[in-house]
Amino acid sequence: MKKTIKLALFLGIVAALSGLILGFVNSLTEPIIQERAVASEKANLELMYPGADFKIIEYNDESGTVIGAYEVTGKGYIFKATATGYNSSTPIIALVGITNDGKIDNVVALQQQETNGFGSRCFEESNIKSLYIGAQSEADVDMLAGASFTSTAMKEIMAKSFEAYKKVK
Amino acid sequence: MNNFKNGFIKENPVFCLFLGMCSSLALSTSLNNALGMGICVTLVLIFSNAIISAIRKITPDEIRIPVYIVIIATLVSVVELLVHAYLPALFDALGAFLSLIVVNCIILGRAEAFAKKNPILPSIIDGLGMGLGYTFALVVMSCIREFLTTAWVSLYNPFDMSQLIFRIGIPQLSDYTISLFGTSVGAFFTFACLAALFAFINSKEKKEAKK
Repeated sequence: MKKTIKLALFLGIVAALSGLILGFVNSLTEPIIQERAVASEKANLELMYPGADFKIIEYNDESGTVIGAYEVTGKGYIFKATATGYNSSTPIIALVGITNDGKIDNVVALQQQETNGFGSRCFEESNIKSLYIGAQSEADVDMLAGASFTSTAMKEIMAKSFEAYKKVK
Repeated sequence: MNNFKNGFIKENPVFCLFLGMCSSLALSTSLNNALGMGICVTLVLIFSNAIISAIRKITPDEIRIPVYIVIIATLVSVVELLVHAYLPALFDALGAFLSLIVVNCIILGRAEAFAKKNPILPSIIDGLGMGLGYTFALVVMSCIREFLTTAWVSLYNPFDMSQLIFRIGIPQLSDYTISLFGTSVGAFFTFACLAALFAFINSKEKKEAKK
C-alpha cells in the first residue's frame, strides 16, 4: 500500500511538472499561433472591413455550419459559414458580417459554384443588398424565386450565424 | 564518440534497427519535410535521453514506462507548439506525424536501451547520434525519391517557403520521371534497397573484423 502511494506520488509529480512546462510554452506560443491563423484569413476579412482589427474567437458549432468566428474590434463580428446549395460537390462558403446592433451589414461569398443565372443570382451585389443586408434575424432573410436551393443554403448560413452571434455576444 | 558514430551506419535506427519506419516512409517525399522531421525528432531525442538519464536513479522501476511516456509527450508537445508558432508551413506539411513522434519507437527504444542505464552526457551524445542517424536516413530517402519523381532536389527556407535555398537536378530527365516513387510503394522500394545496402556494408565490415 505504501509503495503504491509512493509510485502514484512520483508519477503525479512528473505529470504536474510536465503540465507546468506545457502551460508555460503554450502561453508563449498561443498569441503567435492566433496571429498566424488570423493572418491566413485576413485577406478575406479585409474585404468586409478594410483596415479593421480582427480577433479570432472560439466558437464550436455542432452542426458544422459555422466554421470560423472573428471579432471586429468596435464594429461587430464576422462568421465564416458553409452550406450546400444546388451544387452538391462544391458547398457555398460565405462570410457574414453582423454589427454590434445585430444587423447583417455585409455578406461575401468566398466560394460558390451555383448554377449560372439561377443560384448565382443570390450573390449579385444588388441581390445581396435586398435579400440579406439589414436583416436582424433569420426571418428577415428573403428567398429568391427560381433559386430555392441556393437561397435555402444561404438562409441556413444566416440562421447559424445569428445563432453564433447570440452566443458569442 | 563511438555511440555517436554508431547511429549513422552500424546502428542506423531506420535501416539497421528498423525503428521509426512509419514516419520515415511517409515523410521522405521531399527534402524539406525530411529535414524538418529529422530535426524535430533529434531535438526530442536529445532532451528525452538527457532527462530520463538524469532521473534514472530516482525513477521507480515499476512505473518507468509511464514516466518516460509523460516526459516524451511533454517534449513533443513543446516542439509541436513551437513549430506551429514559428514554422507554420512545416507544421502543415508534417501534419499528424509531428504529434506521432510521441510513439516513435526510436525515442522510447533509446530511453529503454541506453538512457536508463547511462550517465547524462553519453545519453545526450547517443540521442544526438541516433537523431542524426534518423535524419540522415530520411534525407537520403527523400533525395532519392524527390529526384526520381521530379528530376530535382530542392530545399526551401522553412521560415519562408517562397525562398529557395538551393535546387539541383537534371532538367533533361524531367520527361522521364517516375511518379511511383512519390507514393508509399516507392517509399518501400527505396527503403528496401537502402536497407540492403546498409546490410551489405555492415556484413563486409564484420568479415574484415574477423580476419
